[in-house]
Amino acid sequence: MARFYPLDVADVRRETRDAVVLTLKPRDGDAEVFAFTQGQYLTFRRAFDGVELRRSYSICAGRDEGALRVGIKRVEGGAFSTWANQELKPGDVLEAMPPMGAFHTPIEPEAAKHYLGFAGGSGITPLLSILKTVLAREPRSRFTLVYANRQIASIMFREELDDLKNTYLGRLAIVHVLESETQDIDLFTGRIDAAKCAALFRLWVDVASVDTAFICGPEPMMLSIAASLREHGLSEAQIKFELFASGQPGRATARAASSSVSASDAQCAVTVTLDGATRTFRMPKQGESLLDAALANSMDAPYACKAGVCSTCRAKVLEGEAEMITNHALEDYEVRQGYVLTCQCYPTTDTLVVSYDQ
Amino acid sequence: MSETMTIDDYLAQGGVLTNPSNAPPRYRGELLRLMATFVDSELAGSAGFAEVINDAPSLKARIAASRIVLEKTDHAERVLDLMGTFGADTARYAVHHPWAARLARDAEIGAARHGADRRLSVFHYPLQGWIDAVVMNVLMGRAVGIQLQEFSRLSYAPLAEVFREIAPREARHAELGEEGLARIVATEGGREAAQRSVDFWRPRVAASFGREDSPRFDTLRRFGLRRRTNHEQVTAWMAEMAARLPAFGLA
Repeated sequence: MARFYPLDVADVRRETRDAVVLTLKPRDGDAEVFAFTQGQYLTFRRAFDGVELRRSYSICAGRDEGALRVGIKRVEGGAFSTWANQELKPGDVLEAMPPMGAFHTPIEPEAAKHYLGFAGGSGITPLLSILKTVLAREPRSRFTLVYANRQIASIMFREELDDLKNTYLGRLAIVHVLESETQDIDLFTGRIDAAKCAALFRLWVDVASVDTAFICGPEPMMLSIAASLREHGLSEAQIKFELFASGQPGRATARAASSSVSASDAQCAVTVTLDGATRTFRMPKQGESLLDAALANSMDAPYACKAGVCSTCRAKVLEGEAEMITNHALEDYEVRQGYVLTCQCYPTTDTLVVSYDQ
Repeated sequence: MSETMTIDDYLAQGGVLTNPSNAPPRYRGELLRLMATFVDSELAGSAGFAEVINDAPSLKARIAASRIVLEKTDHAERVLDLMGTFGADTARYAVHHPWAARLARDAEIGAARHGADRRLSVFHYPLQGWIDAVVMNVLMGRAVGIQLQEFSRLSYAPLAEVFREIAPREARHAELGEEGLARIVATEGGREAAQRSVDFWRPRVAASFGREDSPRFDTLRRFGLRRRTNHEQVTAWMAEMAARLPAFGLA
């Protein structure tokens, strides 16, 4: 099961006015866990006002750089990204799950491929990792990057991309499309929509030569580019997507009433019967499922999916009430009889009596 | 790019999600349900098939059956690994249910779920020997093909990719079944036994496509997790069976 590991923040570099690049160091023994594939992301967790937020950010380093770096752009009203941009400093510790994601294709050192990448704003982070890695590890492949931004000042990794273009002369082509700054060529001004794609593919990019396309950006941009690529003959398997952080709810929202209740009101005394043995413990009404609380109290409660799907963690409420967040397993009549999925269950009364044995 | 849209609109327009943190809660629930059904069916299917390896009439047949058991388990693992990225405890999940357990041959379960796992109802029926297993594999193999065609286009990109990878191997399992069936129907006794198995399995495999009026379908379609209705899928499967079975002297 995926778990969180501490990462030491070694460096916080300001990339643009509202974006930072973090360099992270795994602890001794965890380096293997954080070995990544180009294009993968890290999922971080942090509590804001007592509510845990999880946020995923793409790795922007190539596989040959010997460093773990992520880029975080501040999202308006986003608790995590604002904190990372304004308060995070070297020496701090972040908690992250091992790298995940399948936004990549296998490296073939002998291959001579043409990759086409589309990045919108901070969607550049995984694409930077991919292009650095494939250009270094596939010496015969080339990469065309179409990179959309509002204006020049908001372009992340602008200098690094320029340097890469010089390092990989003739193998890396970059097209900057700027929304609100006029450029010499009309084609490079405005938003990337269906019309812009059609023009780019007619005048600038030969889609027929493309082996794989990578798209990372905001939702509307992903939709129009994908539709356009399909129209130009690319198959589903040739188009790889990464939806970036705008799809995530940004604000940390504490559940209603959580701040107004006193500490004792926020607690529940739970009595759990399992395999004939009964134990009583206290748990918070919020933030921790009944199953997790039972496990934390050394009870060997049954579970498998922890997602409200498999019904392994089913138990019956004998006294008190609890709220079930998700239920994809129990039938209506079981719910009426008082059965709950303990992995999805949060007490709402001050006492709760449940049994796994019924 | 300041332009944004809600995840629901994005999905309704054919958008693709790429990691667990993109997925809204309801979507996540439906997706996990779909994944659990696939994993449980593959594990239950391969566990049932494992028991008939010893009934295989030749070394080639034994190898084919073993390969099917091995690869279906591998396919389950790939999808279970994705469930792990949503927080499922994969090590525990894989060994938790008695995958080889079956109900009686004459149990009346229709399309209903049974017990604590989420396998398709058809995987609750026991196989009766080699011929029965081969026939079940031929019928179910094509049903899986139709399902995977659907799943290969679903809106959770990492899962669609896994399904695109395993679809050709699952198709090969159905072909192996058909090669075995061709040998079985070479004798009249074999053909008659195969016909009895077709009569048993056909309505049960058809039921595994789910209810015609599934209330969940609209939600799944809005989420980009389904395109064709249960009815469209089962109709496609019945047409495929009607076209294929006569070649084996079966109806």
